Amino acid sequence: MTRAMLLSPWRGVRTVFVKEVVDNARDHRSLLSALIYPLLGPILLGLLFSAIVKATVASEDDAPMIVPISGMEHAPGLIEYLESQDLMLVAAPADAERAVQIGEVRIALIIHEGFDDAINADATGAVTAIFNSSNLPGLLAVSRLKEILGGYNRAILDRRLEVRGVEQSVLHPVTIVNVNVATEKNVIGFLFLMVPPLIIFNIFMGGVYLAMDTTSGERERGTLESLMVHPVPRWGLLLGKYLAALLFTVAAVAVQLLAFKLVLYATGTADLDFAQRLSWPALGLMLIVSVPLMMVAVGIQVIIASLTRTYKEAQTYLGLLPLIPAIPGMVLVFAPIHSQTWMTIVPILSQTLILGDLVSGDPVSPVAITLSALGSIAVASLFVSFASWLYEQERLVFGS
Amino acid sequence: MIRVENLQKSFKAVRALDGLSFEAPDGAVTGLIGPNGAGKTTALRILCTVMRPDSGRATIDGLDTAMERQAAQQRLGVVPDSRGLYPRMTAREHILYCGRLHGMDDVDLARRIDELTSLLGMAEFIDRRAKGFSKGQMRKVALARALVHRPQNILLDEPTNGLDVSSSRSVHDLIRELRDQGRCIVFCSHIMQEVANISDQVVVMARGRAAACGTVPELLAQTGATDIEGVFLSLTGDGVKEAAQ
Repeated sequence: MTRAMLLSPWRGVRTVFVKEVVDNARDHRSLLSALIYPLLGPILLGLLFSAIVKATVASEDDAPMIVPISGMEHAPGLIEYLESQDLMLVAAPADAERAVQIGEVRIALIIHEGFDDAINADATGAVTAIFNSSNLPGLLAVSRLKEILGGYNRAILDRRLEVRGVEQSVLHPVTIVNVNVATEKNVIGFLFLMVPPLIIFNIFMGGVYLAMDTTSGERERGTLESLMVHPVPRWGLLLGKYLAALLFTVAAVAVQLLAFKLVLYATGTADLDFAQRLSWPALGLMLIVSVPLMMVAVGIQVIIASLTRTYKEAQTYLGLLPLIPAIPGMVLVFAPIHSQTWMTIVPILSQTLILGDLVSGDPVSPVAITLSALGSIAVASLFVSFASWLYEQERLVFGS
Repeated sequence: MIRVENLQKSFKAVRALDGLSFEAPDGAVTGLIGPNGAGKTTALRILCTVMRPDSGRATIDGLDTAMERQAAQQRLGVVPDSRGLYPRMTAREHILYCGRLHGMDDVDLARRIDELTSLLGMAEFIDRRAKGFSKGQMRKVALARALVHRPQNILLDEPTNGLDVSSSRSVHDLIRELRDQGRCIVFCSHIMQEVANISDQVVVMARGRAAACGTVPELLAQTGATDIEGVFLSLTGDGVKEAAQ
């Protein structure tokens, strides 16, 4: 008997890939997880950015800071000094504490009776600053006010020393020059550290519905058996589905990176120095660094979707999955570590570190990127082989 | 030609096939009948390559379905037991997908889909998405998928289940036409009259084995029954009684 030529498996891989991409592009769940969910992280960061920008710009711009004060009459000297510091002094509301609490004013300064008498008598005069520590603009305002009051304190001290003929340096062994770097740059720079865990989360989320739909979903609909009678090796069927889920994941991460960039423009922070850390080349590099991890992520998804008996069961496990790999990134936000060589090869960890370096504006070595890619591709290959083996099992088709 | 030799298949403690053997020649319709649990669907699943036998072998034109799976699949068209559709794809896209998986080029495929559309009366829903298809429409799409690559060997699991009388009749006509083209057709059904009408030979299965095999008149003579139902009951009655106990 003449044996017919066997069809090339790659043709089958391509056919399955194209079908899954088209089919899932029509599925709103797949589209949501690939195109809409990735926007949530950037939007959240954008809101935080604009809140910070608003707060700091308000406190740092040229308009004088408004300081509500009560008891101005007790301290003409202090009032004169404060006015010389470019502050706009207004009368404080009667119930100043309440006014600060409800946000009617950001801060209030109360000068107690006999302040000037105490100062003139070389004693200590007291003022009370009222602020709300849970209100960022208030916090910034009170810190500026304290600095100015400190200046007044020093001026009085210097005057008293002069009267007694004591060198000022005797009481100033250390001069602290305050260089305030705690501006919006640094606060937003800190928020940048949230970017890597958000990307990692998205890597494990982007293709999840496609992975489920193409395995558990296909089995539950009763289409898997019909598919498996076609002359395509099982690994070819798996690979077509795998690549389709990978494409959706790449799309999800690309959309997310684009959204981060748009957030910088939208909040007016794109021109600042630190925004260069999310320059187009940097974003491109982040995508390249992420792809090997996506290969691992989709591998896990396909395996879980194959092992679980129903779509619902797969949904339960795969819904939790993205949280686990995002944990190292979340920890690193608050407890940065120095990367060790072995870490550069471990999937998830290596990408978290490299993405962290990129958003911090630190140099990333090509060796680290290569090692990270090789480590993840090796693990992904193992997963794909295991998934192919699962596709050979009868229980995959019949679910038990 | 399809040949089944001494197939054995167990699912844990349940022995689904216990030495099934039969041969389905080209240019003939072979009907498989048997009570529930006789192993019909398992036999078809081994023939269509989605299951492997524990022992014994099944061949499609001499190609072992377990060892030379892909080559066997290329010569096989199947309407399987589970025949769900992709809800977001149209009937035409389903058939296209199958044709492409069978390595057909798009020009040939387009022509073939037109042929099958008129043959199976699918014109009204061919470009509609499968979500909400009636059972009959789903069966037609399943049939079209199985036939798109003009396979030499065709396996049909309950091909008319869910179809109305006129649709069933056109499927029967189609099966006869395929037979007259010299193709090998194996189908299973629990509708005795259907089996008697279109089968050139009938394999009666009981307890995972072929209890008898022959043309309808041969089986009538062999069992002394007056109709195919009588044949069925006399050959599988023990199995039914055993199952009842």
